Amino acid sequence: MTRISAFFTGWVLTLVSASSAWAQEMPTPSFPVPWQLNLQTPASPVAERLVEFHNFLLVICTVISVIVLALLIWCAIRYNAKANPVPSKNTHNTLLEIVWTAIPVIVLVIIAVPSYRLLYYMDRVEDPGLTIKVIGNQWYWTYEFPDDDISFDSLPLPDDEIDIAAGQHRLLEVDTPLILPTDTDIRILFTATDVLHAWTIPAFGVKLDNVPGRTNETWTRITIPGKYYGQCSELCGIDHSYMPIVVHAVSPEEFEAWRADQLAANDNTPDDANRLAALIQE
Amino acid sequence: MSSGTDFSRRNRRTATTAFVVVAGMVGLTFAFVPLYTLICQVTGLGGTPQVAERNETDVSTQEITVRFDANVDRSLPWDFAPNEASVTINLGAEYLTSYRSTNLSDEAVTGISTFNVTPLKAAQYFTKIECFCFTEQTLEPGQSVDMPVTFYIDPAILEDELANEVQTITLSYTFYRTLDDIPDEEPEIISEADQVITTAQVGSF
Amino acid sequence: MSTTATHAHDDDHNHAPKGISRWLNSTNHKDIGTMYLVFSVVAALVGGGLSLLIRIELGEPGIQVFDVIGEMMGSEAKQFYNVTVTAHALLMVFFVVMPALIGGFGNWFVPMMIGAPDMAFPRMNNISFWLMPPALILLILSGVMGQGAGTGWTLYPPLSGLAGQPDMSVDFAILSLHLAGASSILGATNFITTILNMRAPGMTMHKAPLFVWATLITAVLLLLAMPVLAGALTMLLTDRNFGTAFFDPRGGGDPLLWQHLFWFFGHPEVYIMILPAFGIVSHIVSTFSRKPVFGYLGMAYAMASIGIVGFVVWAHHMYTVGMGVNYRAYFVAVTMAIAVPTGIKIFSWIATMWGGSISFKTPMMWAIGFIFLFTVGGVTGVVLANAGMDIAMHDTYYVVAHFHYVLSLGAIFAIFAGFYYWFDKMTGKVYPEWAGQLHFWTTFIGVNVLFFPQHFLGLAGMPRRYIDYPDIFAEWNMVSTWGAYLTMTSTVFFLIVTLIVMIAGRKSVANPWGDGATTLEWTVASPAPFHTFEDTPDFTGGNPAAHPAE
Ligand code: HEM
Ligand SMILES: [Cu+2]
Ligand SMILES: [Cu+2]
Repeated sequence: MTRISAFFTGWVLTLVSASSAWAQEMPTPSFPVPWQLNLQTPASPVAERLVEFHNFLLVICTVISVIVLALLIWCAIRYNAKANPVPSKNTHNTLLEIVWTAIPVIVLVIIAVPSYRLLYYMDRVEDPGLTIKVIGNQWYWTYEFPDDDISFDSLPLPDDEIDIAAGQHRLLEVDTPLILPTDTDIRILFTATDVLHAWTIPAFGVKLDNVPGRTNETWTRITIPGKYYGQCSELCGIDHSYMPIVVHAVSPEEFEAWRADQLAANDNTPDDANRLAALIQE
Repeated sequence: MSSGTDFSRRNRRTATTAFVVVAGMVGLTFAFVPLYTLICQVTGLGGTPQVAERNETDVSTQEITVRFDANVDRSLPWDFAPNEASVTINLGAEYLTSYRSTNLSDEAVTGISTFNVTPLKAAQYFTKIECFCFTEQTLEPGQSVDMPVTFYIDPAILEDELANEVQTITLSYTFYRTLDDIPDEEPEIISEADQVITTAQVGSF
Repeated sequence: MSTTATHAHDDDHNHAPKGISRWLNSTNHKDIGTMYLVFSVVAALVGGGLSLLIRIELGEPGIQVFDVIGEMMGSEAKQFYNVTVTAHALLMVFFVVMPALIGGFGNWFVPMMIGAPDMAFPRMNNISFWLMPPALILLILSGVMGQGAGTGWTLYPPLSGLAGQPDMSVDFAILSLHLAGASSILGATNFITTILNMRAPGMTMHKAPLFVWATLITAVLLLLAMPVLAGALTMLLTDRNFGTAFFDPRGGGDPLLWQHLFWFFGHPEVYIMILPAFGIVSHIVSTFSRKPVFGYLGMAYAMASIGIVGFVVWAHHMYTVGMGVNYRAYFVAVTMAIAVPTGIKIFSWIATMWGGSISFKTPMMWAIGFIFLFTVGGVTGVVLANAGMDIAMHDTYYVVAHFHYVLSLGAIFAIFAGFYYWFDKMTGKVYPEWAGQLHFWTTFIGVNVLFFPQHFLGLAGMPRRYIDYPDIFAEWNMVSTWGAYLTMTSTVFFLIVTLIVMIAGRKSVANPWGDGATTLEWTVASPAPFHTFEDTPDFTGGNPAAHPAE
């Protein structure tokens, strides 16, 4: 029993230091606006490229759709029964058929080049200095900094604890956000303890499934300090809609200070009390 | 029905062929289960490491870091953790590390592990020589076991244009309670004093 | 619907049996087709009702209706929302679109178009149909038993396993899909046999109407894909009930294996839903342009190549599961490749209209609507095909918008197009043109208002399968729900008019569409007689249904 209470002290300490010092109002650089039409403001190199690529695709999509629509309208005007009482009998035009096979191929190649560049860019990172581990649970997230033995749960705040006046958002706030440094390559490891989940921050261009029994990895580099939101993106049961993700991106110096706080708090916690208590809670 | 016997015989032949195709597809679906495991092992799909009898590569001067990650499913009353958080070794060099499992409960419990390496593209070059992966392990109450893993990283990774930037590989294990060993009731957690440490009987693949 | 008399059904007189046994024991392809269509309408009422519930719920932030319904159903609001989403999708896919396009129009018109007296195996046809009602009942049970199956139509384990859904609901869903799958496999066998062996003399495959081609390819896809679903479902069932561990790491299994198997079925499945639609649209465009289909052979082979390539693209649904970059790169290439034959189809339809003498009757309006909206769904498909880009869209409302453009605004538009096109032939009644046009325009506007904003929501980051959303997404959700109300109103209007017309409609003629209609069904009376052809049509001297050139 002593272990359990010790665990709780440690946990509460972590919680308090995290929320009191870091959960104040922060700017939200990438929050959608009412009637938002496009992707959120990017806050990582990958997200910037995603936005760029999407804008490019959007042009192509629009042009194709408009061409098809225009051709249909032209047929309606020029070839309706009144305007053209006698139908032509043409059913073949080899040249035309070659052209409308070749042009889509060319368009697709034009899309494929930046697409592959983006795909391989996302896959490649020089060695990140910081590693975090994101664990999906029904229905909350656990974050770990494996190199520092820092670990905490991030639980959603219910509607009645949301302070809209203070800039909080219903369904998006958590008790303990994840604190990350800006301008740092961060390795993110993903796993889950029960069913599939998917951790995502749209503004970072990060989305990957948390699969129980296996680890996934991606990376990010946050370019703008602020508060970022995401929501679980793989159906995980009853409270799938209620496991928000909050990241506070702070300067590397602030991050170091936070980390030092956590480590100090950790010293008061016996070693693997964390795991043990989790077991007992079960 | 216009029914010359010829006609209906031909129909029956076509339908029989169709049913054979259906049966074949069902068969293929089940055959895909072992095939999938095989594909993972051969191609590293899903981060499945390679397996080898012995290390036949040359040791390179280039270094790489391997991190060790451990997860325990909630159903398993074990403590499971790597004995070292990470190691930096030369490519091609064989390395022996170990994870420690401790049965925290007052009953014998059998665990089984899954594993993979990330980044996924590094799996092709991560070669295990000896490990406890997927091998069932039974731990007596309070028993602790050190479970060794021997591996090396194939220097061929340096020649892979898509993977040669990788400087850190994570080896990750998740331990579950085996399906056959699901408890009737929650076990008691025992105190640290009752825990005994032994060294593993090494499993095979 | 058909003529009188009381003879047994297997004689050569043009007499239909009477009463309930005509339907229960039916071996007549038209009667079975009719039953499939009625069945599909019933399922559509349920599935559509569920979708309306979803849209009412999402009309504004917070929980509006599901707390009440959840309580009524003895389930939790949030769980019942998941159940609703799951049941809606399964209903629409397996019990609305497939029965209507394949079971309904396929049964009605494939034998007629090839000049066959009936399907190759009439009794098997009867079994195919009668497997569907129990399947539907099992599916509904899966929604109301215990917690209800709230796994999504994709049934991903571990959520669909014992750990995620411990009660029987998912087992019911699995059994339901088993029955529906068995029905599809029997139906597919029947179509393949019929089309390969029973074409009229002189009708080579290269003279077969495109709807026949489409049905043949669809049937082949069913034959290859359905058993994979059946196998995977069986594995899930035994994992849940008999201690196997196909998808359970505790016994050496892998939950991702399910996703590979499911999508190996699932992607061909989306083409199973759209190829018959392609066939129908080709006929309608040709009929109302008074021109033969442009590039007939290209059209047929485009469908075939879509069918083949459809089997090697499955993992484009799995870009975020954690798959090596080279695998993703491969799936990007093959997925984008499918856009080429799809483009050929779109351009060929337009070329069919080009130079034509087009009358914009109701079926033609739906077909043109299909062409445009399917194009929109196709280009968003190409966006999603890019594995890098998909990171931003996967599991958001963008994907929801995409597949509703190709399905709700694609397959469903084609079903309405076919319905209006063949209404006279099936019922012998004339559908009032004004009502069809009004139905088209209100639905066209309704579904676009309903689904287009979902692209915006998805891009802004709103995830799919959510009962409630942050307030910032309220505006477009409100618009989307307005679209749903309009669509629903339009559908109710359609149902009422259809009932009235079936009872009191004017009598139609054998060929209401004029010389553009050149397939065999237009050579027989409307409604088509119980036994279609007095004499077997003969194609050796050319198409007997073609109209002499003026
Ligand atoms: C140009 C052709 C098409 C391409 C390139 C394409 C591509 C894609 C991709 C990449 C996805 C996965 C998106 C994601 O989950 O992140 C997807 C989803 C989907 N597509 Fe398509 N698609 C095409 C045509 C169609 C057609 C013709 C249909 C059906 C008639 C269809 C139905 C669906 C459905 C139902 C889903 C969602 C499945 C789910 O997650 O529940 N698509 N499509
Ligand atoms: Cu979730
Ligand atoms: Cu697909």
